[in-house]
Amino acid sequence: MENLIRVQDMCKIYNPGENEVRALDHVNLEINRGEFVAIIGHSGSGKSTLMNMLGCLDVPTSGTYYLNGKDVSTMKDNQLSEIRNQEIGFIFQGFNLIANLNAMENVELPLIYRGIGKGERHRLAKEALTKVGLSKRMEHKPSEMSGGQQQRVAIARAIAAEPPVILADEPTGNLDSASTKEIMEILKSLHEAGRSVILITHDNDIADQAKRVVRILDGKIVEDYYNENKKF
Amino acid sequence: MGNMTEYVKMAFKNIIANKGRSFLTMLGIIIGIASVIMVMSVGDGTADAMNSEVADLGTGQIDVYCSEDASNEGEWITPEDLTAIREQLEGVDGVTPNDGSSGSAVTGKGEFAISLNGGTEDMQKSMNYNMKRGSYFTSADVEEGNRVCVITDTDAKRLFGSDDVVGMDIELNVNGIMGSYRIVGVAQQKENGGFVSYTYEGMPVSLSVPYTSFEHFGWESDSFYSATVFANDKVSGEEVAKDIIHLLETRHRCAGEEYYQIQSFQDMVAELNSMLAIVTTFISCVAAISLIVGGIGVMNIMLVSVTERTREIGIRKSLGAKTSSILMQFLAEAAILTIVGGMIGILLGLLGAVGACSLMSASMGSVIHPGIKASTILGATLFSCGIGVFFGIYPARKAAKLSPIEALRRN
Ligand SMILES: Nc1ncnc2c1ncn2[C@@H]1O[C@H](COP(=O)(O)OP(=O)(O)OP(=O)(O)O)[C@@H](O)[C@H]1O
Ligand SMILES: [Mg+2]
Repeated sequence: MENLIRVQDMCKIYNPGENEVRALDHVNLEINRGEFVAIIGHSGSGKSTLMNMLGCLDVPTSGTYYLNGKDVSTMKDNQLSEIRNQEIGFIFQGFNLIANLNAMENVELPLIYRGIGKGERHRLAKEALTKVGLSKRMEHKPSEMSGGQQQRVAIARAIAAEPPVILADEPTGNLDSASTKEIMEILKSLHEAGRSVILITHDNDIADQAKRVVRILDGKIVEDYYNENKKF
Repeated sequence: MGNMTEYVKMAFKNIIANKGRSFLTMLGIIIGIASVIMVMSVGDGTADAMNSEVADLGTGQIDVYCSEDASNEGEWITPEDLTAIREQLEGVDGVTPNDGSSGSAVTGKGEFAISLNGGTEDMQKSMNYNMKRGSYFTSADVEEGNRVCVITDTDAKRLFGSDDVVGMDIELNVNGIMGSYRIVGVAQQKENGGFVSYTYEGMPVSLSVPYTSFEHFGWESDSFYSATVFANDKVSGEEVAKDIIHLLETRHRCAGEEYYQIQSFQDMVAELNSMLAIVTTFISCVAAISLIVGGIGVMNIMLVSVTERTREIGIRKSLGAKTSSILMQFLAEAAILTIVGGMIGILLGLLGAVGACSLMSASMGSVIHPGIKASTILGATLFSCGIGVFFGIYPARKAAKLSPIEALRRN
């Protein structure tokens, strides 16, 4: 069976020319469906850059990227929008909710762009918000919620359209330990439900909870191992 | 594009969520459109009113006067010339010399400066007055040199405190010679005359009298510097003017000397019109400036608001919005703002024009109807809305073309 993600020889160079930054340096990575992968590394090692490539939020300088069997690296802007909408649920460290929309409306956004009608959209958004434990906060604006709650709205938004891949870039980076635990529980339950989850963290405790750990240093993958005793 | 209703809903939500910004954008559009419509309508209305008033007043009125050369040579216009013009030329309804004098009179109300306008009974054709009491003096009065006069109701009130003065006498002192004039008629100024008639405090009382009555004060009424010919509208003013000159030159044997000159009312109207054209151009410039200022306001707010929302655009794109979806949303926002703003602007502009015109009508005694033109409304609206829409979607398009990560990075 085809890998969910297959990255070959991917490079990303920022500011090509004089003071260029080689943020990704010939990265090769394969991830299968249903895996729970933690990507770890020091600050500035290129984790976010890799995640943005995997999430089709940015295009690599060179290399190929197959997502769900499709060659994404050659796609145009419009096709990438479609891929992001249908294949990927992205969770940002900074939540990235739209301030003047309430929780429900934020979660509905990807469903609107998918062209799902109002009734179905409501149902899916409600379901997703219930999954993250926010069934009582649906009418609240982001400014009326705690950081942990905002991140749960963002997770609900990422999972509402049921994409096969969940990408999370330090989703707990801005949260306290209690909220971190909640978020991790949600991610684990998503994995249990069959989703592929890729998680960036620089917290070794969190990485230790994942079955597979990929370590990245200066834009290169330097370690890729399995915690055989771990469930996820 | 099947999602259009969604984008319109999003647009509405955003407009309401950003009330202040939406209001400012609309304000720019409202001010631009309203001021243009108001200024242009008032300007056009005033021009129309002036035109029709002038046209009412003086069509077919031709002034003849003697040049300096003629007076040096001792050539004037004579009563016989006037008779000849009246009797020989086609299309002439009346002729009057423009003779004048001044004096003073003492009444129960005090001493007044008097200006005497001497002419024939045809002089009433040039008047912007209706007879209110009595009647104008007649050709018999002119022939016999009767000392009779016509006075306006305002002047009658100044002299006697009432306009019921027909039959009363005014004792005049002209250059030390006394003479009494009997009032035969009281005239009332016609309704609309705000632009053409003028009065001022301490202005002499003006009496219209037969020119022949001046003989009482020791003048021979046999030569005049100028005369007014009234042509009817069956002939062209220019033809009549030419005929008058020809006739006078024949009678005085001075062909080609340019002793006699003409100023027809048409000339004056043409002059007035060219003045009006300058005024209209000026007004249009003012309107254009307010339109541009409003447009710049709209542009600024649109640019700022879209730049401010680059992050939102990045979020939407990261969730799968296409560039075209983003554009639709911003287009819908700009369209709603400009349409609502445009309608308010048109309404305020029209109300303002009507209000300003009625204020001006009241203060000037002229009736000015706002000259509302569809082209003004359409032009102003298209311009403002065009700017609103362009600057609403052009930067949005730029932001939507960024990769989502880049858009998210902008703050
Ligand atoms: N837009 C950019 N322009 C130039 N250089 C960039 C840009 N984004 C990232 N970089 C550089 O690329 C390298 C990798 O950055 P990246 O954000 O992927 O690191 P990271 O591993 O996510 O770090 P952190 O843990 O701090 O988030 C860094 O050296 C960074 O300075
Ligand atoms: Mg990072």
